[in-house]
Amino acid sequence: MAKKYISIENLKFLLNEVFNIEEVLESPYYAETDNEAVNMILDAAVDISDRHLFPFYTEIDRADHTFEDGKVTIHPEIIKYIKAMGEAGFIGGSFSFEHGGQQLPQMVTAASGAIMSAANNGVVMFTGLTAGSAHLIASFGSKELKEKYTGKMLSGEWQGTMALTEPQAGSSLSDIVSSATPTDQGHYKLKGQKIFISSGDYEGTENVVHLMLARIDGAPLGTKGISLFVVPKLREDENGNLIDNDVTTAGVYHKMGQKSTPAVHYIAGDNDNCHGWLVGEPNKGLSYMFQMMNEARLGVGLMGAAIASAAYYASLEYANERPQGRKISEQSAKDKPQTFIINHADVKRMLLFQKSVVEGGLSLIFECSRYADLEMTTEDETAKKRYKGLLDLLTPVAKTFPAEYGIKSVSEGMQCLGGFGYTTDFPLEQHYRDIRITSIYEGTTGIQSLDLLARKIMGTGGKSLMLLAEEVKKVTDEASTYDDLKKYVTALQEKLQDLQKVTQQLGGMAMQGKMELALADATLYMEFFSLIVIGWQWLKQATVAKKAMVTGNPEGEKLKFYESKIHTMRYFFSYELPKTLGLMTRLMDKDDTLTVEVEKELIV
Amino acid sequence: MKILVCITHVPDTTSKITFTNDNTELDKGGLQFVIGPYDDYALARAVEIKEQLGGTVTALNVGQQETEPTIRKALAIGADDAIRIDAEPTDAYFVAQQIAEVAKAENYDLIMMGRESSDYNGGQVHGMVGEMLGIPSLSPVMKLDIDKGVAKMAREIEGGKEYLEASLPLVLGCQEPIAEWKIPNMRGIMGARKKPLKVITPTNNDTLTTPESYELPAPRTDVKLIDADNTAELVSLLKNEAKVI
Repeated sequence: MAKKYISIENLKFLLNEVFNIEEVLESPYYAETDNEAVNMILDAAVDISDRHLFPFYTEIDRADHTFEDGKVTIHPEIIKYIKAMGEAGFIGGSFSFEHGGQQLPQMVTAASGAIMSAANNGVVMFTGLTAGSAHLIASFGSKELKEKYTGKMLSGEWQGTMALTEPQAGSSLSDIVSSATPTDQGHYKLKGQKIFISSGDYEGTENVVHLMLARIDGAPLGTKGISLFVVPKLREDENGNLIDNDVTTAGVYHKMGQKSTPAVHYIAGDNDNCHGWLVGEPNKGLSYMFQMMNEARLGVGLMGAAIASAAYYASLEYANERPQGRKISEQSAKDKPQTFIINHADVKRMLLFQKSVVEGGLSLIFECSRYADLEMTTEDETAKKRYKGLLDLLTPVAKTFPAEYGIKSVSEGMQCLGGFGYTTDFPLEQHYRDIRITSIYEGTTGIQSLDLLARKIMGTGGKSLMLLAEEVKKVTDEASTYDDLKKYVTALQEKLQDLQKVTQQLGGMAMQGKMELALADATLYMEFFSLIVIGWQWLKQATVAKKAMVTGNPEGEKLKFYESKIHTMRYFFSYELPKTLGLMTRLMDKDDTLTVEVEKELIV
Repeated sequence: MKILVCITHVPDTTSKITFTNDNTELDKGGLQFVIGPYDDYALARAVEIKEQLGGTVTALNVGQQETEPTIRKALAIGADDAIRIDAEPTDAYFVAQQIAEVAKAENYDLIMMGRESSDYNGGQVHGMVGEMLGIPSLSPVMKLDIDKGVAKMAREIEGGKEYLEASLPLVLGCQEPIAEWKIPNMRGIMGARKKPLKVITPTNNDTLTTPESYELPAPRTDVKLIDADNTAELVSLLKNEAKVI
C-alpha cells in the first residue's frame, strides 16, 4: 500500500500563498477562525484519515456491502468513522454558529475534504451527504424541522440523503412522479420510488433522513411543480418514540466502484403511511435542491482530484522503487543494473500529466471556494454579483475537469505500474473503479456542458466570459513582470482569444435559431474551455512560486517545491493546452451532419 | 486532580531530516512539527482523568515562540491552560530543571509526559524531574487509573507486565496503550486561542551536553537476489555485509 495520498504542503500553498486565506478570514463572519486554527483543522483531518479512512481503503472495498432480509450491512469501520466525524464536529464545520457549526470558510472545508477524500473517497460520502442534506434543512426548513433534525444529523447519529432520481427520471428531473398529498395534521403523505440513493439505508445508523423531491397533488407539470420534503425512515410518534415511516428498502445496486457506499432503491408509502414534511414553500423544491447540488458538484470535482491525487502518489512511489530496463542512451550496457522507471522519459510524462491534473484541478476548486466565501461575506453588492457570476460560471468546470481528466490521470497512474497496476495487489485498479463515477454523479458531463454553454455563457449574453477574462488578465499582468513567464502569458492570451472566437461562433448559431447545432458539441466545448481555465490556474500557481523564489530565497525542499510548480506549468502549457487546437477545429465547423442530422439508422 | 503534562515539539515522523551548520544543527526549514507521539498519549490520558475526576490539566513546553502552534494543539485537545518556558530545550537536564522549577511552585498531583521524545529519544527527563522534586517517577506507564489518591498502573518489564500502585504525587513517563490519541474537535480548536498561555523565562541555562555533529542513518541498499541453493553466499552476506549474524 502506498504511504502518501495527498500533499499537505500543496494544500497549504494553495490556501496561504495562491488564494490568500488571510483575506477571507478578515471578514467579521470568520472572526473566530485564525490561521493557526486552520492548520489544526488540517492536522485533525489528517488524523481522522490516518486512523479511520486510509488504512481501510482496500479492506472496505473488498468487503462490499450486503443486502439480506431487507437489511443493508456496511463495513463496521465506516460506523466508527461517522462517529468520529460527529464527535470532532467535522460534519457541520461550515455551518453557521446558529445552526450548530463553526462558520468555517469553504476554502478550509475544501482542504480538509480533499485530505479525507484522497484517503478513502467512498466512505467520506456518508458524512458529505449528511452535511449537504442538513444544510438544506438549516437553510430553508421551519424552526421545528431544524430543531428535530439538524442536531442529530451533525452529530452523526442520523444519516442524511439526497433523494432525487426515480426509475424513469434521472437527468430529466422534470419527469419525476413521486407524490405528496396534504393532510390536516401538518404533514404530507408521500408515495413514490427513488433509486441510486447513496447511503440511503444501513444497519448502524439510528435513522435515515431523506431530502426527497416530490409533486404536491395538483402541482404544475415540469420543474415548477417540484417540492422538497423531509422524509425520515423512522418518524417520531406523539411520545417521541421512533416508529416505522413506511419507507422500504427494495434493494441495492452493485456498483463498479465506491463499494463502501450502498446505492439504495427505496419505496415510500407502499402502505399509505409515509409522512413527509415540506421544506420551505411548495413548488420551490428544485431551486432549494440546487443549493445543495452546486455544493455537491464542487464536492464531486474535489473527489475526482482527490482520487487522482491518491493514484498519483501511489504511482510516483512505485516509479521511484521499480527498476526496469535501461535508459535509451544506455541500452547497450547490459551489465549495468536496471534503472528505476522514473528515469524513463515516458514515465516522467505520465507522472507530470497526473500532477498537472491533480494540482490544476485542486487549484480551480479552491478558486471557486474562495469566490463562494467572498460572495457570502462581502457587503459590496457589485462585488457580490461578480463573485456569484464567477462561481456560477466555473462550478460546472470545477466539477467536470477533475472528473474527466481525473479518470485519464488515474489511467496513466495505472499505466506506470504496467501489469501490476491491473492487479488487486496495488490500489490503482480501485482508484480507477472509484473515480469513474465522478463524471456521472450530480449531473453527467453532458449535463454540465450544457449548463456551461447554454445557461452560464449564452444565458448571460457572454457577460460571465468577460468576468473570467478580467480574472485571467490579473494573472497575466503579474506573470508578465517575470521574463521567463512571458512566453506562457502570450500563450494564455492567445487561447483566451480562441475561446472568444469559438464562443461567438456558437452564440451566432444560437441567435440564428440553430440551438440544436450550437449545443451539439457542448461536451467538446467544455473540454476546450476547461483546458484554458486550468492553464490560467497553472500560470497563477507558477507566478506565485516565481515570486516566492525571487523574494524569499527558499532553499532545499522548499525551493524544489516551487521549481516543481513552475516545471509542471511548463508541462501543462506544452503538452495539454495545445489540445485546444483540435477541439477548436471541430467547434468552428459550421455544418453538422455527423451528430445532429445523422439518421439513427446509420449508427448500427 | 491537578495535572501537568509536559509536551515536546518534534518533527513529524514522516519528515525528511537534514542538518545545517556543518551537521551540528537540525535544519528546521520545511519541517512539520507535532506534539511528541508519547507525550500525546500522556495528554490524552490526562484529559480523560480530568473528565472522570474533575480538576485541571496544564500543558508545559520548553521551547521558543515557534512551538506555540504545538501548544495550542494541546489546548485544543483538552488542556485548560499552558506554560511555555521561553528557551531552546538543549538537553534533558536543562529541560528537567525547568519542569521541576514550575512544579515546585504548583503542587501537581501528577506530572505526565511521554516515555521519551521522538527526536532525541533520551528517555531521561521524567527520572530527573522525579529526583529533583523528591517524588517517585515511573516509566513506561501503559495503564493508569486513579483511585482515592492512589495511582494504579501497569508497565512493561522484561518478559511480561508489572502491575503496581503508588501514592500521589508522581512523575510518569507514558506510552501506548495508556489511552488513544485524541483528535481535537472543532469546538476545541476554535476555543484553543482563548485559553491562557503563559510565557515564562527559564530558571537558568545549565546544560550538560553540546552536540558535536549529527549524521543520518545509512541509506537503504538495493535488494540482492540469491539463488535458493546458494545458502553459503546467504550466510556470508548476513555475516560479513549485513553483520546480523
